[in-house]
Amino acid sequence: MSPALARMALVLGVLLVWEAFSRFTSVSPILIAPPSEVLWQIVRIVSTHGSVPDFYSNLWVTLAELLAAYAVTASLGVLVGFLFAGSKLIGDAFEPVLLVLYAIPKIILYPLIVLVLGIGMFPKIVFGVMVGIFVVIFNTAAGLRQVEPTYISLARSLGYGKWKIFFSVVIPAAAPTILAGLRLGFGYTILGIITAELLVVNAGLGFLIDWASFNYYTPQLYALIIITLCIGVIGNGLFSVLERRWVR
Amino acid sequence: MAVIEVKAVSKTYHDPASGRETRTLENVSLSAADNDFLVLLGPSGCGKSTLLNIVAGLVPHDERGGEVLVHSRRVTGPNPKRMAYMFQDPVLYPWRTVLKNVEFGLEAQRIAKQERRARAMKYLQMVGLESFADYYPRQLSGGMCQRVALCRALALETDIVLMDEPFGALDEQSRIILGDELVEIWRKVRRTIVFVTHSLTEAVYLGQRIVVFTARPGRIKAEIRNDLSRPRSIGTPEFNRMIDTLWSHLKEESLLALEREKSTREQVVLPKE
Repeated sequence: MSPALARMALVLGVLLVWEAFSRFTSVSPILIAPPSEVLWQIVRIVSTHGSVPDFYSNLWVTLAELLAAYAVTASLGVLVGFLFAGSKLIGDAFEPVLLVLYAIPKIILYPLIVLVLGIGMFPKIVFGVMVGIFVVIFNTAAGLRQVEPTYISLARSLGYGKWKIFFSVVIPAAAPTILAGLRLGFGYTILGIITAELLVVNAGLGFLIDWASFNYYTPQLYALIIITLCIGVIGNGLFSVLERRWVR
Repeated sequence: MAVIEVKAVSKTYHDPASGRETRTLENVSLSAADNDFLVLLGPSGCGKSTLLNIVAGLVPHDERGGEVLVHSRRVTGPNPKRMAYMFQDPVLYPWRTVLKNVEFGLEAQRIAKQERRARAMKYLQMVGLESFADYYPRQLSGGMCQRVALCRALALETDIVLMDEPFGALDEQSRIILGDELVEIWRKVRRTIVFVTHSLTEAVYLGQRIVVFTARPGRIKAEIRNDLSRPRSIGTPEFNRMIDTLWSHLKEESLLALEREKSTREQVVLPKE
């Protein structure tokens, strides 16, 4: 049996037990929705025939926030990581500060962000960046620092100059760690965005999830959670493709 | 005619943290002729690898006095058109295939793609790895990786090849086999080889001229010609006599180095090699 088959079998088994459990026991349907019902809800929501209001405009809000936040997380995170690894002074001066910031739960700052920036998309983007950027910075800096010194001596002995060494040795050598940071940073950014939407509830998938939960629309709630998860899964899949292409 | 000339070269390492100085080479002079197979043999920490790095232009020597000439030109930095350098570790880039690793040095010299490929394949064939050209280093054994590194050095087609304990990390059997291959290649394509080792057997097995170093600071203790006929075999009476001769020079130096390592372990300032 292949691992993929084993995985499928397990998932299918869980779904079957879940279905039977929710149909043949007296557990309240407010707590557990049967998978078949959830699947049907997903279809209805995506085809805008369901009871979920303005699904696509809310999805778009979340995606726009996510894309904006991740663009900043990835570009600024990699840039700062390069600065930290490139300059000992900058690294020694500011990395400890960031490590402290990384350790505190960012969520306690969110009320402050809302107070200053309001309740639109912007504060959610800012919060997404705050949650996602650290791992990108640290992985980038670590990846660059961990390049084997012999890799560089070798290129030097073969007549490579500073810039050529940077592009043909340092970058490919650090790429796996940097990409891993970008992948983790993506997951954290989603987490930040959805958390922000659940705390200040006015738009986005977080808003819809809160709406379904508040009104006890349990199948819709399950369906929306799964749709939200799909964003993460699709993003992760894209990174897997990138890693297969670039990283050896 | 001398291809490499080392004249009165000294090297001192400074440790900026403690301000201590360690003299690793003291007034060393030697030369290597065309098609020489020169072995530098010495106790650990005697500066033989440092000397090789200085010749390669990877490390500067002390400014006072000495100089290093390669083809009568002062060495100021790495010169891959004249000298190939082989490290103790294979240092293959894991993101490049075997072929691309061998081509890496040629890419720096902007050699056309077809010419690169042809040269790389020629040397891969010489060490019997042509069918592994599209493999990645992690799919190869240690000995195979070191063969690829050898190809990368030879593919530069320089007349000088500098080797810093290139087979030091291999098991004894692979060492002997790779040594045989190296001698075979050296006889086929005329090159000047400078080979650093701390193995007496390897020195006698490979070397045509063997330079024995003293313990730190490294000076030249003896220079011995090794005219044993090739292919050489380990353990013959002549072979053992050669080893005895080398050992008679080396023994007290090794003891001295060992003693010093024990007594001043934490005071020694040596670069990572």
